[in-house]
This record gives sequence, structure tokens and C-alpha cells, in this order.
Amino acid sequence: MAKVIMKTRVLTLLLLHLLISVFGKLNQDSIDKNLVNSKVERKIDIATHLVKTVTSITLENKGTSAIRSFLFALDPSLKDNLSFLSAVTKDNKDEKLEIAETSVAGLSDKRFFRISLLSALDGGKSIVVEVEAIYSHVLKPFPLEITQAEKQLVVLDTNLFFYSPYPTTSQTTVVTTTNSNIESYTKTKPVSQSDATISYGPFEDKAPFSESQLRVHEENNSPFLTVTSLERVVEVSHWGNIAVEEHIDMRHTGATLKGPFSRFDYQRQQDGYASIKNFKTSLPASARDVYYRDEIGNISTSNMKELDESVDVELRPRFPLFGGWKTRYYLGYNVPSYEYLYYKGDHYALKMRFVDHIYDDMVIDEMQLKIILPEGSKNIELKTPFDVQRKGDEIHYTYLDTLGRPVVVLSKLNLVEQHIQDFELHYTFQKFLLLQEPLLVVGAFYLLFLVVIIYVRLDFAITKDEAKESRMRVSTLIDEVQSAHDRRSALYQSYDDAINKYKTSKDAAALTSSRKKIDADYKQLTQQIQNLQAQLKAEGSEAAEKVAELQRYDIQYKEQIGLAIAAAEKLVLGKLTRQQYLDTEAATTSKCEDTYKKMESLRSAL
Amino acid sequence: MKKTQGAWGLQWLMRMAPEKQDTLLKMVILTVAAVLSFSTRLFSVLRFESVIHEFDPYFNYRTTRFLADEGFYNFHNWFDDRAWYPLGRIIGGTIYPGLMVTSALIYHVMNFFHLTIDVRNVCVFLAPLFSSFTTIVTFYFTKELRDASAGLLAASMLAIVPGYISRSVAGSYDNEGIAIFCMLLTYALWIKSVKTGSIFWGALCALAYFYMVSSWGGYVFLINLIPLHVLMLMITGRFSHRIYVAYSTVYCLGTILSMQISFVGFQPVQSSEHMAALGVFGLCQIHAFVDFLRSKMSREHFNILFKSLVLLVGTVVFAAAAVATALGKIAPWTGRFYSLLDPSYAKNNIPIIASVSEHQPTTWSSFYFDLQLLMFLFPVGLYYCFVKLTDANIFIIMYGVTSIYFAGVMVRLMLVLAPVMCVLGGIGMSAVLTTYMKNLDNPMRKEKKSAKKIESNYPLKNEIATCVVCLMTVFLLYYTYHCTWVTSEAYSSPSIVLSARGGDGSRIIFDDFREAYYWLRHNTPEDAKVMSWWDYGYQITAMANRTILVDNNTWNNTHISRVGQAMASSEEKAYEIMRELDVNYVLVIFGGLTGYSSDDINKFLWMVRIGGSTDRGSHIKEWDYYTPQGEFRVDKEGSPILLNCLMYKMCYYRFGSVYTEGGKPTGYDRVRNTEIGNKDFELDVLEEAYTTEHWLVRIYKVKDLENRGV
Repeated sequence: MAKVIMKTRVLTLLLLHLLISVFGKLNQDSIDKNLVNSKVERKIDIATHLVKTVTSITLENKGTSAIRSFLFALDPSLKDNLSFLSAVTKDNKDEKLEIAETSVAGLSDKRFFRISLLSALDGGKSIVVEVEAIYSHVLKPFPLEITQAEKQLVVLDTNLFFYSPYPTTSQTTVVTTTNSNIESYTKTKPVSQSDATISYGPFEDKAPFSESQLRVHEENNSPFLTVTSLERVVEVSHWGNIAVEEHIDMRHTGATLKGPFSRFDYQRQQDGYASIKNFKTSLPASARDVYYRDEIGNISTSNMKELDESVDVELRPRFPLFGGWKTRYYLGYNVPSYEYLYYKGDHYALKMRFVDHIYDDMVIDEMQLKIILPEGSKNIELKTPFDVQRKGDEIHYTYLDTLGRPVVVLSKLNLVEQHIQDFELHYTFQKFLLLQEPLLVVGAFYLLFLVVIIYVRLDFAITKDEAKESRMRVSTLIDEVQSAHDRRSALYQSYDDAINKYKTSKDAAALTSSRKKIDADYKQLTQQIQNLQAQLKAEGSEAAEKVAELQRYDIQYKEQIGLAIAAAEKLVLGKLTRQQYLDTEAATTSKCEDTYKKMESLRSAL
Repeated sequence: MKKTQGAWGLQWLMRMAPEKQDTLLKMVILTVAAVLSFSTRLFSVLRFESVIHEFDPYFNYRTTRFLADEGFYNFHNWFDDRAWYPLGRIIGGTIYPGLMVTSALIYHVMNFFHLTIDVRNVCVFLAPLFSSFTTIVTFYFTKELRDASAGLLAASMLAIVPGYISRSVAGSYDNEGIAIFCMLLTYALWIKSVKTGSIFWGALCALAYFYMVSSWGGYVFLINLIPLHVLMLMITGRFSHRIYVAYSTVYCLGTILSMQISFVGFQPVQSSEHMAALGVFGLCQIHAFVDFLRSKMSREHFNILFKSLVLLVGTVVFAAAAVATALGKIAPWTGRFYSLLDPSYAKNNIPIIASVSEHQPTTWSSFYFDLQLLMFLFPVGLYYCFVKLTDANIFIIMYGVTSIYFAGVMVRLMLVLAPVMCVLGGIGMSAVLTTYMKNLDNPMRKEKKSAKKIESNYPLKNEIATCVVCLMTVFLLYYTYHCTWVTSEAYSSPSIVLSARGGDGSRIIFDDFREAYYWLRHNTPEDAKVMSWWDYGYQITAMANRTILVDNNTWNNTHISRVGQAMASSEEKAYEIMRELDVNYVLVIFGGLTGYSSDDINKFLWMVRIGGSTDRGSHIKEWDYYTPQGEFRVDKEGSPILLNCLMYKMCYYRFGSVYTEGGKPTGYDRVRNTEIGNKDFELDVLEEAYTTEHWLVRIYKVKDLENRGV
């Protein structure tokens, strides 16, 4: 048995080793000498604070063997600032080409990406590939400091030529600037400038990795806003809600403000061209309960517009952001879970945006995404559209949690708008766990009531309180008296019934027997009340007198009943006329009613 | 003879034993009162947000956060280098920690049960929570004094009395919020221990007293009132073993416990404010001893002994007090205490005490505003207490009479008066109602009752009773209405966010304070020192997290005076002071654009007075800032010294070119309603760093020294 385990272990190790070596090989590329960029058209857009390049490369395979991929090198001036890279072929723009970072032996100082083609490129054939790359923090403000009224000037310093591991036959470069206010630009011929574009080239036959300076100094007052750190927390509840909260640190990364900030000039002359007053954040259309606050409370300056496909929130920071100024805020909202949470049996899948829109042309230097799953979620699997770093899972405790909720923590550096893509998180969750928290509350209240009941019902006193005890005894005695009296009242009714029956049936024997029975019950009850009265007297309660009075009334009542029976007997025997009987009956009934009322009032007064 | 079926609900209630009915009713009324007292304090949260109010609460909030994060020992040893630069402040030893400990405890307990709540929300809702508790304690207290119906009335009145609400709305996170609860709890337990004479209740009272000491400096009132009560009982010949046991227990335990609070320390045995308690304690022993002797001796012997003993003890005590005072063992009475006894003391001697608006004497209108109906019920309650004089009633009479005096001296102490007003009002109202309710013709039980009460019969009895009861009901309703109105209009503004009605009736929010503080927090160096008048110190440390020179603690008069001097001096002179104090930023509050009247220009005379009150500021004379006619004006007529001092320049920098109101020239100050006198000037040593949207807060940066040779 042990041997088998050993064997499997060795095997796994071998397999792992193999995998690693294959992987390593895959990540190590060489430059194919047969490839040539026959035509390159490069567009560099510096209208915003990002540098967006779109390079259209006509790739020609001069060799004989087919190739499946080619290398794309990052320009040395940009290589540390890459945020986003994607590639498509010109013929099929919908399908993205697969891109993987790689390295080339002997050129370890350069960054390469291997772009795999959809189909192999045979010898002698050519293909047009469009590569889109977005770089952040490339444009440097120059001068570094400006005053409030000055406009912001920035400089782009990069390579005039397409930086490629392959020779380039013909290439052009077009730079799009913010506007026509261009201070200076590199005048390497051929060059032409019109309005907000500068066109270079065509340049013929450049060797691999050729470089030449391209420097554009332009006016750029677009918001140089950078999110220096973003923490996005997504809390999933299976009760139908997903809460999203974003903690955002942002900074104006343009030219810093020199000298004073004058509110007067800012208000009167509307200067402060480079400052940021507000920006717009688009939230999902189903976002509700949006809040915008920071460490010291609610920020009262924001507007919300609900559109069909999104909720636009116009956020105004507490103060306008000038160069170098920073701020921090929280933005949170709820979305219904049915839009993002899918399930089949116990399997759940959360499909949400990894990062959401904060402002147009946004740059996020650093972000962390925390996904808080319901308590009891297991088998968590993650699928992301791009590489992210997954940190160790955490445990989060909130309302009524016992074991805590699992938290998936993801982080990524350098994000832009193109990263607004969905991730998928699969997990299993047993539905009955949903009842755990309500049951917990129910249980807690049950326990509380139980304790109160026990405390109220039982006597925990070490000493005896005689007066209280006596009071309690008296109240039980009175209860007993009342119930006995109630039963006795019912007996009066029975007497009446018996008399009526006798009157109709004229059966003296039946009357005597039923009377005997009722008499027995009556005696017993009266005796019981008598005993209770004695006990009450022993307790020294004044209720004893009332009971005695009750007994007196009872005797009167009994007498009336006796009279009624006698009268009825006489009537049956013919000793009384009907009229006489009716008179006596009326007299006894009224007397009975009178005493009954008195007794009832006495009873309730006990 | 069939039983009639009445309405089920009532039947069910009537079926219950009267005792149970009574309990149920009491519980329902008390619960409703407690819930009401919580919810009536939430106006500001609903109107604005869950935010801490005013100034002091920000300090309390900051310290609570520290305590919740760092634990008690770090809190106890906390030396705060963010305030009173460069002196710093030992927080642990200079505050009453009861409030912070209470909220940190609640915070930790809640979080232990995974009821996620943050410290801020605990702080915001603490005062309403404790006012609910106060309501319940008031019921108990009044019940002990008189009966349950008076208790219920007092509790319901206390739940909404504006004098108490003013200090305990949600967000007003101050010591008073829990101190009133502690105070009433101590009183209730004191009454209980006086009535029972048991050590158990005495010890509980001492514990409540300890909680009170740990939470508010106003405990001094309490430790003088209880001895006063005992003394009064002695004088009226009501001294008994019960009182001896109660007072000895409370005093001994309470004093030892109170000395555990480091801010109190040895004061209970040294300072003169506590001497009354000690004296009465001694007197108690003597009285008990004398009683003992009297029971053992003949009358003549006893008289001789008594006279000689009194003489001897009197001399010894007097000599001891004199020696202790001479040696400085008994601390001289503090200024705040003097100003209690003599309202004009502070105004004449200590400008820093007089400058605080809540230390001003109370006006008649504010008595009515804060207490309304209670003002008239108070004497009624007193009357009923005198009618049936007991040991406990004497206490409430003493409490009522002393607190009404103190409330007259200082607006702030209205807070101490409000509960006793409610208690006495409750007693009065309940006594009136019970007297007349009996005279009402009760349809439920007709014949018997009226037959029994023949002796106190007079014409139109029922009608008069109905009138009185209706009148009282109307009074109570009107009281409720008034209280709600006052709470909503006057006491529910967080003062950190201002709001005004716009021309079209919409609400405009001025959030400038937080704008400025947040700017400071994020856009100044971490170790920047900010100079401002002391009012804003707590807020700056809490919200902007920057070091400040002076704050609302006002413990060091000379330091505050130095800041006052800087504000009142000319730019060059101020620059020297600011360099000396290492100031990086200066913050001023300016209301001239929006018409916010409690700004720094209106407070400026206090800065001048306080600045001039020390030796180093002797060159600052209040008179220099007035016009020759003795007016304080900022227009052209104003004194040139005022128009060129730092405060003026900071407030009005570039204001001279702003149009504030139609038809008025530029630089028209909307608070002072004048065109400012000095419009066109530049700042030499400062530069504008930030001004908020409505110009409420202006922050200036102190320029560095110029390079040599430039």
C-alpha cells in the first residue's frame, strides 16, 4: 500500500516537473528571422492623460514554414506603463487574439508579448494585425508646477519608429494631440502638422529595434485624475441583494499647483483649467440606495440621474482637485442579486464586473476586489478574463454570523476602462443554511422569553415574605371561591330547569330525584365555599366577610328556590290557581334576580 | 340571567387581577416614554445624517475611537502630541473616561455578537439610548419619593423636556449625555438607602456615584448635595441610624472609588469643593456618638460634656483647616466654582471662562423655552412635598432649590435643573390629578363611592373636577407640542453642517467646515501645525487629523493667549509668534459672505482680551481695537489697528472685490452689515492655501523665511 502511494507521489512529481519545463519552454521564445513587418501604421493618441496606440501591422512570412504566432515588443520608453494590450486581425475584428507575455533569450531587458494568430500563416503570405495598447502615466507635465491660472502642458517622449523584433519595410506614425496648441514637436522629416494631428513618415527599411526620439510638447487640460488605490467590496446575500462598496483614493497627477489657491479667482474668472471640479460615474442600471461619503460623513454635493442602461452619478469631491491634491471617498450601492447570481441546485455562479466605471478614461494604479460570500459557501472557483493575483481567502464576520463568511481577495495593478469585464465565481451553497440566521434569532428570543417566564413563575428569594405569601394564598382562595360560586350559579339554573320540566311533565318522582341530585351538589359546593371562607378568615383577609355575605345571599336565593318549588308542586296538585301561581312566580323570580345581581357584584368585587 | 359578552379586549384587561393590570399599564407607559425619549432625539439624524455634532463631541469621538482600537491601558497612558503643540496633552489623565469606556464597551459587546456597528454610530446613538435609561430611572426615583403615578408622569415629562434634549440629541456625544443618567441613578439609590438604611443600597449608590464621577465633572454638585441633605436632616432632627449607615457607606466607598479616576486623584480629600462632604461625614460620627452618650447619661452630665466637646472639636477642625489651607493642602477654589457662587466673578477675572456662551447667566426666556409648563408645576410640586414632609422629600426640595440657583447662574446647568423640574412637576401634576380625579362622577361604580365620600362634598364637585382635569390635559398636550417643536427647531442642528432656506424655499446646505477639514486632512503634510482659535481645535484634530496649537480643553491660558496675540497683532509681529510656535497653516472662520454670525471677527474681541491678559501680551490693549467712540467696527471708521491686524487681513483678504449683495458696494460684510474699511491689501507672510466654497473657512499657509540676499 505504502509503495503504491510512493509511486503515485513520484509520478505526480515527475508530471509536475514536466509541466514546469514545458511551461518554461513556452515562455521562452526566439525571434523568427523570416518575419517582416512590410507595412506599419501607428496611431498615437495623447488627447487625454492616457497614451492610446493602435498599430496596424502587415506581417509577412518570408520563410517557407508556416508560423502560428509572432512577437510584439514594447517600446523601452513605454514598457513600464502598459495597462492594456489587445490584438485582432483586420479581417476578423470580433475575435481577440491570444496574448501571453514572454521573453527572448539574450534580450531580457525588453518586454515581449507573443500574439497567437487564429490560423497559421503560410510561407509567402501576409496578414494584417491591429494591436491596441494603452499606457498610463506616460505623459509628463512640463513644467512640473503651474499656478492656478496657467494651462497645463505635457510632454510625450517616445520612439518615432515602431519598436519591433522584426525588420520594418515601411511605417508611418500619426500623433493625435488634445488641440492645436502644440508648443513643439520633433521635426524628423518627413513630417506634417495640421490642426491636432502630427504625421510622420513614411520611413523605409528600419532594422529591428531601431529607435529615434519623438517628443511632443502640447497643451493638455484633460483631467489627469488617477485612482491611486481602489478597494471594491462585493457582498453577496442570498436574500436577494448584492451590496457593492468602493473605497477610492484619487489624486490629480498632472502639474502640481504652485503658489496660492484663490477662491475669488476660481469663482469669478472660472480659471483653474487643469483642475477637476467633478466627474461622472456610471453605475449599473439596477443600482439602488447609492451613497457617497467619506471618513467624516456624507458628501452633500452629488447628483444622480437614472438612465435606461445605467445610473449616472455626478460626483463632486469636497474640494476641487488641483495638481498634486488628493482625496478619498466611498461610493456604495445595492443591486438585486437575480441579475448577477445564477444557480442550479446547490451550485451558484456570480457573474459581475471585476471593476466598474469610475470616470471616463480612468486609470487605476492598484485595486483590490473582495467578494464576500454567504456563510457556508464552499468549493469556490474563480474565472477571470485577465490575469489577477488571488490572495489568501479571509473570513468576514457580520450580522449574526457564527462561522464567518468566506472572502475571496483579488488584486491587480494598473487598470483602465478596457478592464471593465466580467469575472465568474462558482461556489456551492446548501439552501437550508439560509434559515440558520432567522432560526438563531427565533431561538434567542425563545430563550429570552423562557428565562423571563421562569423568573416570573418561580420564587428565587432566600427569605420568605409573609405578607406577599398570604396575599398570594388569598388570591388563589378567592379564585376558588369564585369558581365554586360560578358552579353554584349554574345549579340555580338547573333548579329552574327541573321546575319547568316538572310543570310540563307533572312527574313528582322525577322532580324529587333531580332535586335530590342538585341538592347534593349544592350542599357540597356550599360546604366548599364555607371551608374557603374559613381559610380566608385564617389569612385575615377582608374577603372573608364578603364571602360570608355571599353565603347569606345564597341562603336567601335558596329559600326563594324552595318557595318556587313549593309553589310549583301546589300548582301541579291544584292547590293553587294559575293566576296565583303566576303572581308568586313573578315575586320569587324578581327576588331571585335581585339577589343574583347582588351576588354577582359581590363575586366580582372579591 | 345570561352573561353579557362585552368587547373582548377590554374584558380581557378587566378580567386580570388589578395588580397585574397595574403592572401592565405601568410597563406600557414606561416603555412608550422610553421609546419616545429615544426617537424624539433623532431629528438631526433624519434631517442630516448620522454625524457627530458641535465641538467637544468630536474630541470624545476621537478618544473613543482610540480606546476602541488600542485598548484601555494604551488609552490610559495616551500622550496626545496632536494637540497643544508643542506642549502636548496627557489625555488619559485629563479626562473623565466614563463616556468613552461606556461606548467602547457597547461597541465591543455588539461586535462580539457579530452585530456589526462602527464606533461612530455607537457614539451618535449613545445619548438617546441613555436618555431612555434616564426616563426609567426617573420613574424609579419619583416612585421612591412619592408614588408610581407621579413617577410615570415625571418619566414621561423627562422624556421630552427640552432642557435635557438640548444636550442629548443623537450625535451630541458629550459627557452630559450619560452623566444625567448617572446622577439620577445615584439620587434614586441614595433615596433608597436613606429609606432602608441598608448597606447594600448604600454600596450600590456608591457604585453609581463612581460611574457619575468617571463621566462628568458635575459630580461635584452631587457630592455637595448629598451632604447638604444629611445636614438638613440633622438640623430638622430627622437624623437616624438609617441615615448614619447610608451616608457613611456612600461617603467612604464613594470617595475611595472616585479617587480611582486619575483626573480626580486626591481632590476628594484635598480640594475645598469636597470639604463639605468630609465635614458632614465627621459631623455624622459626632452626632451618632452624641446620641449614644445621651442614651447612656443623665441630662446635666450630658449638657456639660456636649458643650465642652463642641468647643474642642470646633477649635481643632478650624485649626486643621487653617493649617491645611496655609500649607496649600486644600486647593484654592477653581474659577469655574467661583463663578457658580458669584456670577460676575468670571466676567471680571477670567476672560476665557466668560468667553464661552454656555457659561453665561440664563435668561428668563430660556427658562421658559427649556422647561415650559414645568416652570409652573415646580412650585406646585414643592408645595405637595412640604405638605407631606419625609426624609426623601427633603432631598428633592434641596435638589430643586439649589439647582434652580445654579441654572440661573450658568446656562449649561439648565441640564441639572431639568430632571428635578420633571420630578417635582410630575409630583405636582399627579397630586392635582389624583385629587380631582376622585371627584369625578364615575359611571362604572356609582352609588357606593359617592355615598362614602359625603364628608368632603361641595357644590358642582363633578363639574369643577372635570374642568381641572381637562385643563391639566390641555396643559400636558401643549407641553408635548412645545417640546417637540423646540427639539425640532432649536436643538437638532449638527452645527457642523449648516443649512439655510434658499429663495425658492429649497434647502441649501453649507458643508464648508468639513470641506476645509478634509482638504487639510489630505493635502497638507502629515505633521503640519495648524493655528486657529481654540473653538475649532477638537474638530481639526478629529476630522483633519492635524496638529493644532490650542483646543477646547483650554487648560493652558498662556498658550491660548499667545494665539490670541498672534491673531490680534500686525502681520510682522504675528509672523514672529507664528515662527516661534512653528505654525504651518492658519485657519479662520469667516461669515461675511454668507451671513454666518458666529465667525472669528465676532469672536475677535475675546481674542484680544485673552491675548492681552498675560504678560507677553501686555502690548495688546482692548481699547486700541475700538473707535474713539468705543465701538467695534470693521468699516472705514474702525480703528486702524483693527483694520491691519492679522485676523482682519486673513478674513477679508481679497474680499474687497467681491459683490455679496445686490445694490451694495464690493466688500459688503453681511454679518456686520457694513462695507469693510480696508479693502486693498496684500499679505506678506501668508499665502492663501484654501478657501471653501462659501468662504466660511479660510486657510492660509505661513510662508517660509525668505532666502538671504533676495
